[in-house]
Order: sequence, then C-alpha cells, then structure tokens
Amino acid sequence: MTNNRVAGDREHQEVSALIPWYVNSRLSESERLKVDAHLVDCAACRADVLVEQQIFEAIKGAPTVEYMPAASLKRLQTRLDALQSVEAAADAAPVVRIRSGRFPKRALMAASVAVMAITISLLLADRWVQFRAQQAAPNYRTVTSSPPHAHDEVIRAVFAPTITLVELQAILDEAELRIVSGPTEAGVYSLAAKSSRPVRSSLTLLRQHPTVRFAEQTREEPAPGDSP
Amino acid sequence: MTPLGKNSPKERDSSLLAAVAAGDRRALEELYLSYHRRLARFLSRFTRRYENVEEIINDTFLVVWQNANEFRSASQVSTWIIGIAYRTALKSFRRQKNHAGASSLDEVCPEQTIDPTIETEIHDWLQQGLGRLPIEQRLTMELAYHMGHSLEEIAAITDCPVGTVKARMFHAREKLRQCLPALGGAASESRARIE
Repeated sequence: MTNNRVAGDREHQEVSALIPWYVNSRLSESERLKVDAHLVDCAACRADVLVEQQIFEAIKGAPTVEYMPAASLKRLQTRLDALQSVEAAADAAPVVRIRSGRFPKRALMAASVAVMAITISLLLADRWVQFRAQQAAPNYRTVTSSPPHAHDEVIRAVFAPTITLVELQAILDEAELRIVSGPTEAGVYSLAAKSSRPVRSSLTLLRQHPTVRFAEQTREEPAPGDSP
Repeated sequence: MTPLGKNSPKERDSSLLAAVAAGDRRALEELYLSYHRRLARFLSRFTRRYENVEEIINDTFLVVWQNANEFRSASQVSTWIIGIAYRTALKSFRRQKNHAGASSLDEVCPEQTIDPTIETEIHDWLQQGLGRLPIEQRLTMELAYHMGHSLEEIAAITDCPVGTVKARMFHAREKLRQCLPALGGAASESRARIE
C-alpha cells in the first residue's frame, strides 16, 4: 500500500514536470501516453494542464512586432567588413614575421653570441697588450730617465725650494753651468755647461752644496764642438 | 524517424552552415534572413528596444560566422544557433538589468495596452508575472511556450542537464501562479480538493 503510494507520488512528480511539454505537444509518444494515463486519475495534474494551457496559449498568441531584417543585415555586413579588414591586417602581419623568420632564431642567437664573443676577445686582447706594455715599461720615470729637455743639457738638478735666485745663480756660476730649461713642476732644472769644465766636476760641486737636493748627469761629456 | 527531404529546413540549414564555414558571406546572409524573424519575435518579448534585439541577433551571427567550422552535426543547426542567441541574450539582459538597476526585466518588457477583455487582462497579468521571473526561468518558459522547443532541445540550447530545465520550469510555474491569482486560484482549488 505504502509502496504504491510512493510510486504514485514519484509518477505524479514526473508527470507534473512534463506538463509544459505536454501542452506544447513536444513530448515523445511514450511520454505523452504516460501523461495521458496519469491524468485520468489525477485531478491536480488535470488542473495544472488547464493552467499551463492558458499560459501557453497566452504566450504563443501574444502580439509581436515584425521587424524588417534588411537594415539589420546591412549593419551586420558592415561589421563583417570591418572584421575581415582586421583579419586581413592580422594575416599580413604574420607574413612579415615569416619573412623575418627566415633567419632562424637559433642562427640569430648563435651569430649574436659569436659577435659578442669576438668583441669581448678583442677587448681582452687590447687590455692584455696594454697590460704587457705596462709590465715591460715601468710605470714610473726618474728625473733623468726622460730624454734630455735640450740638446746641450748635461745635468738635471733639483734645488731646495727655499733657495733664492741669487743663491741659485751663484751655485751655477761656481759650477760653470747655465739653465737650459726649468724648473719643471717637480722643480727639475736642465743645466748645460758654460765652459769646457768637465761635467763630472760640475756635478761634484753641485752635490756638495747643501741647497742642492738632487743632481745627476744626463749624458756623457759633450763633444768639443757642442760647447758654446 | 522522418526521412529528410532534399529541401528540408534541417538539410538546408546544414548546407548553408557548411558554406558559411567555408567563408561564404551570401550563405551567412541567407541563414540570417531565415532566422531573423523568429529570433526577433522571441527577443522582442524581453525588450521593447529593437536596437537591443538587433544587437543580440547580429552578435549571434557574428559568432556563427566566426565559429561555423566548430559546429558538430550531432546537434541541429537551429539548436546551435538559438543556443548562441540564448547565451548572447542572457549576457545582454544581465547587462541591461545591471545598467537599469532593475530587479527584473519588467522595465525592458513591452508595455501592454489595457483592453477590457478577460483575455487581454490575463495576458497583461501574465506579462507582468513573466517580467518578475529570474531571466533563466523566463527564458526556459519562453523557449518552451513561445518557441515551442522540447525539453531536450532546451537542455541543448541552454547547455544544461534536463533536470535543470525541469527545475527552472517548475519554479517559473510556481511563481507565475503566485502572480496570477486568476489562473493559480483555479489550480489551487483543484489541488485543495484533491488533498
């Protein structure tokens, strides 16, 4: 008895859910027969069918406005034209990409790496040459290692910064030397012989003077003809 | 199963859609003209503005144009196209609803003229009742009653299980009965007598 009631309720729910399609005549044959059989004994579903029938008729028979499609179609065509223009532009873009793509990416990358490697190698080589040159030639210079400032220069000397011009001249006269050039930024004077006095003798005299900080012969004895 | 004639609408639609997939603009136009009337009538039940109707139809056929090659012949062309229109309309109606700040589509439903006849009165009440339904429920009812689609077709159009379609229709009917005492009263009385 209870089982029959449960089965009946289930059938009622199933049929009730199908009523909208019963009234619009879109049920399958087997479903329609099932609903027909249920309606014989179910007044509630019969009432539902009547209600849904009215709703269905009202909706189906509702007045509608007719629209002419021509203008709308024209606007769609305009949109399609625009769309196709965009697509054509998009199609053109890949051609450029394909053309540029003829250079394989890997080859381009390899070439870039090679150029970079060569550049770095050249830079390193240049730096190496500079380094070796620096190693070969000491990066300092003595007062006497540079070439003579004048062709008759025989001595370079540095005097005390407190020495006066009179004192300097007295020393030079005594040593029979004259200033060829100087002083440099480092206070170096280039001195030449004023007489035939041996340079070594003049040098010894300079070195004995307390205001002479440094004195060095830059060349051998000048040739007899070089003396003024 | 009824054999399809050479010029049956289904076969014609399939041929046209195949041509559209091949890039035939004239085939698209022919398809457009054959669907415009029914789609316009259906959509005009939701909005009084034809520009909205046209926008939905044209958006639908733009999708048809762009995706015709994705159509699988396992379903009907009409179901496929109406399914696109359904989704396009759903988006459009939701957007309109958000812009209008309306709680339902009442404000975009066509206004009914009052006629002193019972039929028109029922029709007017019905229109108001339909306007208060959630859009998915109303679309389900309109697809069944206005368009005449079967349960399975609506499931395909809305891309929902059959059970979901039944549930939406059930809730739509219940709400309509509450809105339409003239109709619901009779049903309630019948139900009361049975219980």
